[in-house]
Amino acid sequence: MSTALVTTLLHRVILRQWRLAPRATLLLTGILALGVAVYVSIRLANRAAVASFTHFTDTLTGQSDWIIQAPAGALAESVLPELRRALGARPVHVIPVLEATAAAPAAGGDGGRFGRPSYTLLGVDLIGVSNLARSADGVGAYYGQSTPDRADSAEAADFWEALRAGPQVWISPEFAPTPPRQLSLVLDERVVELRVAGVIPSAPEAPRVPANLMVMDLASLQRLTGKEGWIDRIEFIVEAGPRQAEQRAELAALLAELGRDRWSLSSPGARRESAEVMTRAFRLNLTVLSLIALLVGLYLIFQALDGAVVRRRGEIAVLRSLGVEERTIRQVWLAEAAVLGLVGGTLGVALGWLGAQVSVRAVGQTVNALYFGTTVNQANLSVSEALLGIVLGVVTSVAAGWWPASAAARTPPAQVLHRGSAPAVGARWARSPMIAGGCLLLAVACAQLPGFPLPGGGRFPVAGYAAAFLAIFGGGILCSHLLAPVARLASAWGRRRAPACVALSHLRQPSGRHRLAAAALHCAIGMTAGMAILVGSFDQTVRNWVQRTLQADLYIASDGAQTANAQNRISADAAAALAAHPTVAAANVLVAWRIELDGRPTVLSGTDFAVLQARMDLPWIDPPPAGTAFIGQEGPTPVVVSESFTERFDRRSGDSVRVTTSTGSRDLRIVGVFADYGNEQGSILLDRSHLVDWFRDTSVTSVSLWLQPGVDADTVRADLLAQYPGLSVLTNSRLRAEILRIFRQTFAITYALEIIGVLVAVIGLVLTLTSVLLDRRDELTTLRALGFSRHEIAVATAIEGTALSAAAVAGGLALSLGLGWLLIHVINKQSFGWTLGFALPWGQLAALGLLVTLAGAAVSYGVGRWGANLPADQEA
Amino acid sequence: MKRTLFFFLGILLAVTGAAPSRAQSDLPPLTTPEGFAVPQPGHVFSFPRDHAAHPEFRIEWWYITGHLYAADGRRFGLQATFFRTAAPDRSGDLHLAHMALLDVTTGHFLHQERLNREGWDARAAVDRLDVANGPWGLQMTDPVTEQMLLRGGIRGEAFFTLELTPSKPLVRFGENGYSRKGADPTAASYYLTFPRIAARGELELGTENLTVTGELWMDHEISSSQLSAGQVGWDWISVHFTDQRELMLYRLRRSDSSADPASTLTWVDADGRTQVAPFTWTMQSTWKSAKTGAVYPSKVKVVTTDPATGASVELFIEPLAESQELTGELGGVPYWEGACRVRDASGREIGSAFMELTGYAKDLKI
Repeated sequence: MSTALVTTLLHRVILRQWRLAPRATLLLTGILALGVAVYVSIRLANRAAVASFTHFTDTLTGQSDWIIQAPAGALAESVLPELRRALGARPVHVIPVLEATAAAPAAGGDGGRFGRPSYTLLGVDLIGVSNLARSADGVGAYYGQSTPDRADSAEAADFWEALRAGPQVWISPEFAPTPPRQLSLVLDERVVELRVAGVIPSAPEAPRVPANLMVMDLASLQRLTGKEGWIDRIEFIVEAGPRQAEQRAELAALLAELGRDRWSLSSPGARRESAEVMTRAFRLNLTVLSLIALLVGLYLIFQALDGAVVRRRGEIAVLRSLGVEERTIRQVWLAEAAVLGLVGGTLGVALGWLGAQVSVRAVGQTVNALYFGTTVNQANLSVSEALLGIVLGVVTSVAAGWWPASAAARTPPAQVLHRGSAPAVGARWARSPMIAGGCLLLAVACAQLPGFPLPGGGRFPVAGYAAAFLAIFGGGILCSHLLAPVARLASAWGRRRAPACVALSHLRQPSGRHRLAAAALHCAIGMTAGMAILVGSFDQTVRNWVQRTLQADLYIASDGAQTANAQNRISADAAAALAAHPTVAAANVLVAWRIELDGRPTVLSGTDFAVLQARMDLPWIDPPPAGTAFIGQEGPTPVVVSESFTERFDRRSGDSVRVTTSTGSRDLRIVGVFADYGNEQGSILLDRSHLVDWFRDTSVTSVSLWLQPGVDADTVRADLLAQYPGLSVLTNSRLRAEILRIFRQTFAITYALEIIGVLVAVIGLVLTLTSVLLDRRDELTTLRALGFSRHEIAVATAIEGTALSAAAVAGGLALSLGLGWLLIHVINKQSFGWTLGFALPWGQLAALGLLVTLAGAAVSYGVGRWGANLPADQEA
Repeated sequence: MKRTLFFFLGILLAVTGAAPSRAQSDLPPLTTPEGFAVPQPGHVFSFPRDHAAHPEFRIEWWYITGHLYAADGRRFGLQATFFRTAAPDRSGDLHLAHMALLDVTTGHFLHQERLNREGWDARAAVDRLDVANGPWGLQMTDPVTEQMLLRGGIRGEAFFTLELTPSKPLVRFGENGYSRKGADPTAASYYLTFPRIAARGELELGTENLTVTGELWMDHEISSSQLSAGQVGWDWISVHFTDQRELMLYRLRRSDSSADPASTLTWVDADGRTQVAPFTWTMQSTWKSAKTGAVYPSKVKVVTTDPATGASVELFIEPLAESQELTGELGGVPYWEGACRVRDASGREIGSAFMELTGYAKDLKI
């Protein structure tokens, strides 16, 4: 069929409709735009958060070819001459790197709020890096920069002076418009003052210097952090030349051969990938949640297009009798859906980009708290992301329009059509309780399937999400069957009032339109309430966990540790001094070492088990046998592991683990599993005395203090803070509040997604009722003729809408129980490995139900008033 | 650029320090005000120890230049230099190294610098000749034959491993290796040279592997001296004559372009004996560097007296390629250092030379 005819029909039939009902069209476009926007904004925010995992050295040196690092702990500097000897005349730059994290000191003395600006201090040999081909201005690039406290001068003496000046730091040009002269930073338990020597120079083609990057000379950072003689990693760059590729491969073989058990070899790309893998479960789940609004939108678009088909059956019938083929009719309707998708998708991309500027901070905060430090605060839109958003809009719209287009195509010619023939909405099967039951059964079956293993570790609950989808679909069908009982229930109450009778008569034999509206609203409510159940259960579980694990009065860590991957420590001396405070009854310490196991990061932590067993109660998932000794054992060292560890590394009680430490490999035996909701990568816990031996390091990550009876924790806290301004000292209640705050912050974005879903569903209700009233224009005329006032008509519509909302709320809440269970026991467990107790947030669920019912009543009253004014036969 | 002048400041001092002194009767102090050792007249050298580093002095270098030939007749100019300089407060040493290679056939000139602190990636041993900077190094492998091994390269584009065997004994310039540069009694250096070294080894250039032989010149200078006022740069030439004699000259230029009286020319005869001779220097053409804007002498005529005959001789020094400038990103001072041929007045090629021209770049403020 000719495109010209399709275009003409599109103009005559569809666009006229749009012009005549601009508000409905606008709403529909808005729903689609909102759905696309949510998806786009989450996608952009996710991408920005991961992209902000910078391999910091890149900005200084360009991409390294290879990186070696100790499997655990630091590398001794003594490997450097050995490496240079082994490399011989090979043209390779060898760049030792030490990395430290530091935070800005808390402002106003109110310490203890996690998530302040945090910086990465990169220690490299600033003379050595000047040899790299890209270094823009030789050594002068760093030494001898003019700074506010020192005017530019050309004297050679200045170079030497700059070279030996005390600890000095170079900051990002994005740190501040004008670099400060001095900077206070919290490092370990100290607050240090550093002279700002200048800004980090970068070649024009180099990646932007991140705002949170600071550079120091290697030796100077080693002294500052007490790591003289130690480095975190060594980067290698093969110099450019015709044999570079060959030399690069040869270098890898040489490093692997030399390294054996001493270091692991990787490339910067692999490190970036691991940051992606680390956050993947979180990002995937967020992406799936972001599709909720679009899913609800799908119902509504279907319904709106279908309504349009029904209202225009007359026109279609005329067209058919004029000889327009079925195929053309279908094409016109699909074209309408596509245009709608295009407009909605485009708007959605723009809206999504705006939303991403907000959501990126929320995503960034979560990544900060759970994974690694990011400074992301803006998300950029790429052409491919924009196209993806638009395509998503079009695909959703066309998918939703498929059935209505077919229905339009099936419309018989005018000769056969008589005006009163009842339009059927949706296929018969879409109303079948059998199908619904089948979906629910299939959902239950899917929920039993294991997660889909992802490359690089972790699982994605594909079957879990399929189960959720099936439950939503099946539940939606069942929910439409609630309309009649709800109507019967309501008519028992309002039998004698005319508007009620009129309203409820419609619901006793609900049209497909009613069914769809109920299903859409039910879907949105079900998912929102299901999410509320997950968060509520999580909240309850974390509260219980905090209750059981946080028994000490004061918790002390370096104030420099502001993100999940911070490395700041407390020196053994300071830890001993804290424990020796006269008010302290008992103290325990925790030390955490980041290690690699099976090529994936995890944490090896040590604590004093004697104190632990005497003072605390670990929340056991699988407790160790009574009387297990954690020190002085022959054979493999007994350890307990976190639940996430068992999921990630597939090891349970009784299994053995071999870990690498700075002094070689050690065999461990798992004797118990405990719950830990603060760490997604899993952790191994053992007696600290082993770690002191294995890592030859006595520093600790945190100290917990039990005070003598009657001592005021706040007073002690103030005293300790005065002595150690670089420490973060939290009272028990403060730490609990802080943990819950971070936890809720993590879920803030998921709440936002749910609320948008409900909003879309309520808008959908407006569209449905509008559409229903338009279908019933004849009836409205009759009602008015019978003496119904406008108010009465509005009340009738309100009752209809309220009953519909109530049915959807009832169905949605029932659905939410199932979805909540799925989220807690299948989706969360498979993605993150956390066991949560099921807890129902009654208040929230009741409030949600009430709010949606009231909103339903309010908007349907409004639609009813509008409908009461509808002229009888005017086209609208 | 101007920020990193530190290095060559020191080097200029040492070169001026190599100038033969006018009569000075007062003895130099033992140390400079900063505490660095000052070269003393009548110093008794002890080898192989004195081929090694002298960290008590402020500035030191091992400077190899010369010509290499591949079996197929291709010719290369080579420079391999290791510098050591101490911080003014003696808090540590910096090591700078320069490598350059000229492919005479193609005129392609490669060069690279390295700068490192004394430590795991740069060192100069104090008991034997063993200096290294990154993957580059120079070691004396046999203290009896004074054989050395030079490893070097330019980025990933060229590598060479050369076995160096002195074919003439060590020459001590100045008064038995002790040179004073002027009125300041601390201004002096020890100046030791292997004037002719037979080189043999492998050169990997691009994807080619070449076996090369050649003749090199190697200076080792040790000093702590200060810069003398009024000088803007210097010109230095070493010549390997085909008759197995050598010639070394330097010309210290003052701000008015005239030569400092300390400028000198020294002949080395076939047995290694030295003799100073007067000379004149005439620039016959110039070359302008597109990179630094410096205008360098290109062809140079040197007129001196041949001590063997007592006759005046004209030497025409012609660069094998004009573009042999080291642009000095790290050391801070661009200079021209390149392979040349030497012709006599009749146009006959009588030897090969290496010429160094400093202080011509506009931003060189000395």
